[in-house]
This record gives sequence, structure tokens and C-alpha cells, in this order.
Amino acid sequence: MRQFFKRNLAFAKLGIQTNLEYRFNFLIDAVVQPAMTGSIEIFLWLALFAAVKTDTLNGFSKESYLAYVIWSSFIGRVAISWMYEHLMMEEIETGSINAIILRPMTFFEYYLSQLLGYKFIIYFCSMLVPLCVTLYFNLPTDLSRFPLITLLVFYYLIFVHAMSFLTACFAFFLNRVRSFTIVKNFTIYIMSGELFPLDLLPEFWKNLFLKLPFSSGVYIPVGYVTGRLGTDMVMQGFINTTIGLVVVLSISYFVWRKGLGSYSGTGA
Amino acid sequence: MSNAIEVKNLNRVYYSYEKSVGLLSSIQGLWNRRHTEKSALSDINLTIPAGQVIGLVGSNGAGKTTLIKTLSGLIPATSGDVKVLGFNPFERKNEFLRDISVLLGQKNQLWWDIAPVDSYQLLMNIYDLDVNKTQKKVKELADILNCTHVLETQLRRLSLGERMKMEIIGSLLHDPKILFLDEPTIGLDIVAQTSIRNFLSNYVKEKKPTIILTSHYMDDISKLADRLVIISKGKIFYDGSIEKFTQKSVQKKRLKIIFETPVKENIQIAVDINLIAGAKALDLEVEPAKIADTITRISQKESIQDIYTEEIDFEETIREFLKKE
Repeated sequence: MRQFFKRNLAFAKLGIQTNLEYRFNFLIDAVVQPAMTGSIEIFLWLALFAAVKTDTLNGFSKESYLAYVIWSSFIGRVAISWMYEHLMMEEIETGSINAIILRPMTFFEYYLSQLLGYKFIIYFCSMLVPLCVTLYFNLPTDLSRFPLITLLVFYYLIFVHAMSFLTACFAFFLNRVRSFTIVKNFTIYIMSGELFPLDLLPEFWKNLFLKLPFSSGVYIPVGYVTGRLGTDMVMQGFINTTIGLVVVLSISYFVWRKGLGSYSGTGA
Repeated sequence: MSNAIEVKNLNRVYYSYEKSVGLLSSIQGLWNRRHTEKSALSDINLTIPAGQVIGLVGSNGAGKTTLIKTLSGLIPATSGDVKVLGFNPFERKNEFLRDISVLLGQKNQLWWDIAPVDSYQLLMNIYDLDVNKTQKKVKELADILNCTHVLETQLRRLSLGERMKMEIIGSLLHDPKILFLDEPTIGLDIVAQTSIRNFLSNYVKEKKPTIILTSHYMDDISKLADRLVIISKGKIFYDGSIEKFTQKSVQKKRLKIIFETPVKENIQIAVDINLIAGAKALDLEVEPAKIADTITRISQKESIQDIYTEEIDFEETIREFLKKE
């Protein structure tokens, strides 16, 4: 167990180190992108409220929506991942996976620890932007609720990684599977509540999406810190993520085993 | 001496999609694909004692790399029995993976974006190695390979030769019992090739690991290998010592003749060999029994300054063999 944690800590450091090698890319990823996404969403919601000439929408105030969008662009940046998914696919497509699977470690843990390490840094660097906006506009945000949502978001990241792993495993059979990522990410973008709060959906769809693990990535943590949701929903988020994790990992295990059986050690 | 590798009746078949030329066949391929089977290894039997260095030789597509991939556990055998250090390699148990190292000359095993020292740090954690001992070892190996100055430069900024030296250090850090070296000197200049060859030769003498080595440079094989295995079309064609192979295969000698003045007219030496007017020297391979006859025939028409005969070396023997395949 000590050996497991030792090597995974080293992978987490590798995730941080390799990303810091490309400083400009890191800056864009950690600060510029969430700032841009947040600004666009803020202007959209301001325009929407100005057009409908009302102070509340679906029972929530303009400030509540602004707080939601600024924090959802930040949390979404952390909870949604495609970078390592592309890397995993590339490893399988090009055969560079050989160097990983012939060492005493697993492909899954290698990328999971890198993802967690990188997102940990992104989480704290990116937080400056929404924090400044929240304080400047005095938006409703309960900072004491952050420790719990940090736990939920990072737990959800394991689920996100499991889905990325499953998607990447299809590269053993299909070679090019990048279109899967686009479809998957767009679906999650809506179902997680990053595009808009799930309260705006018809009741049936809202209830359905809340039963799926995806809402634990953005809607539940953001709803919790902005005061829309209570602790019970966060707990529900942990349960949904656990169920999702068990299902996706079980399928992944099967697909991985089949994939390795058909793998021809490409390029070596 | 116990056996490091035991292979019985190993077969490996690849399945692939066959596509005809053109756009129409690409469109047809959307719903109708033709698959083909290719036997890459056929009925391979091989026993390798611990500490032996095997030179695996064959033309492109002969099955060398497939054999290495199967023995290292990268791909499963289609049928047959494979035991490496007592393990089924495809199960890839950590105990097995800790005792092997695979160096694929055409692939990076170290991390592209970070410096080799950082990669070695990572390997220490992966293989759970002692930090002080490993750092000392890195220094020693880098000194021998004369590459200490690039240890802290990112891998992507290194030349091919420097990169390969770094890869070799990385592959030896955990003292593997079996080393799979697939084309370790490919693409390197003669200086780097010699340096790596000498380093490996000394390493083998000192540590006595089992090595499976493939290379297109026969100098690598002749200087490092104890035993030669030639693969042709997925089957073992020869398994024995390099000396025996050379003796068995060489039925010709090299004959070199230098003329006092350029040849005045064309001379037919054999059915398909002509000495062209104007030539100053002749260099050909002939059967030993025909050497005297060839020299007599030429000396009747031209004045000879010097004559040399020599054995055909291993590299040429292999080349001749591969050409015949």
C-alpha cells in the first residue's frame, strides 16, 4: 500500500510538472479560459434579465444566477476533463502505451493520479477569478461550504476519469475514437448543469438528470455554495457518483481486458 | 543453469482489415470489410538459459519483434506455452514486470517533456528503488556513457544518440534479470553505435543478465550475442552459435585482384560475371575450388599486381541469407 501511494504521488507530481513545462498553455487553461467562459455567461444572463424585465427567474434572483454561472464555469473547468482522455487514446493508437503496461503499475492509476495532481493545481489557481468577481459584485456565495464541494468535485473526477478510460479503451478496437469524446462531453456539458442550471429544465428532465452522477460535477456543488441546494443533495451527489463509478469501472474492466487481448503492440 | 525462457509450440496470428485501392472501396468498407489472417510466429520452440545473450536476426516482418512482444507480455500468444522467469508473461504480474526491461529502439520509454533525471526519479518510485543507490548508479552509468551533461535537459531536446543513452540507463536502473533490446542502435551514427555496443558488452560481462537482442547491425549481434537465432517467415531457421552458422553457410571466399594497368578488354569470368574493360581491380565471391581457375584465366590476359583471398564475414553471410529469403 505504501508503494502504491508513493508511486501515485509521483504520478500526481508528474501531472503538475509536465503541465508547468508549457507555461503559456497552463496560464490559459487555469485563468484565461474560466475567466472568458465566466464573462460570456455573465453577459448572457445580464442581457436575459434586461430583456425579460424581471428580478427573478424560476424563483431565483439575478445575483443568484450570476453567482451560479461564475462558479459553474470555474467548477466545470475542474470537473470536466478531456486532456488526459486524448492522451490515453493517443497512447493506445500509437503504441506508446507499451512503455506503461510493461512496468509494474496500471494505465488507469497512472493517468488518474496525473489528472488529480493537475486539477488540484488548476483548482486553486483558477479560483482567484470567480472569488474576485463574487466579492466585487457581492454575489451570494457561502465560502464555508467549499471543503465539502471540493471533496465531491474530486470524487467526481475519479468518475470522469473512469469514463475517459472507458472511452479510450475503445481505441483498441476502433483506432480513432475522438468523436466519442465530443459527443460524450457535450452530453455531460448539459447534464452536469454547466451550460445552465438544471432548475430551468422541465421537472421530468430535471429529476432524471439529478438521479444521474453527472449533476455531481457542476450543478450540485455550485448549487450548494450559491445556496440553491442543501447538504442532502451533496450526499445524494456522493451516492450517485459511487453508483456511476461502480457501473463504469465494471464495464471498463471488461473492455480493457478484451482490448488488451486484441492489441497488437502497435508501432513497436 | 536454470532456464530464463521456455517456449513450446508458440503460434501468433494477426487479424487485420484488408482494403482495396480507391474511394469506392473506402465507402464499401463502411458496411463490408474483408479481414485477413497472418501468421507472424509459427510453432516456435525455444529454451534460453539464464545469463545468455541471444541475437535474434531476420528480415523485416520475419517475426522478431512479435516474438519480443510475446515474451515480454505485450501481446498474448494465439496458442502454445510461454514461460518467462516462471511466469506467463501476458498476465503481467508486478513480480514479473519488476524483473524485465524492454527497450524498443523506435519508441521512447522515458518521459518526453521532462529531464532524464526526473524520469529516473519517477522510475525509482515505480520500481520502489533505494534513492541513494539509484542516484549513484545513474551517475556511474552516465559517466561510462559519457552523457552526464544532458541528464538535466528535457528528453525532447536531446539528439537521437543522447536519447538512446538515456533510455538505456533508464532500462537498467532496476537491475532487470531479462532485457529485451529491440534495435537499440537504430538510426545512430557509428560513434554512438560503438559506444552503446561497448557499454552493453561490459554490462553483460559484469551483471550477466539474459538478453534478447534484435538489430539490423550485425556488429551488434556478433559482438554481444552468445547464441544466434535466425527467424524467417515466423519460423526458427537457425538456432546455434555464430561460428557454426558462419562455417555452415560460407561456401565461398572473397577474391580481390589488383591489376598493374586498367583491363584492356572485357573478360568473361563466369556465366553471369564479366570483367569490364577499364577496371583497375576485381572483387568477387567465388567457391574455393574455382579460385585457382579464375586467377589462371585472368592472368592469361592481364598482368596482376596483387591477389588477396579472405573469409566472408558474419554480416555478409547474414545478408546473403536474408537476400535468399
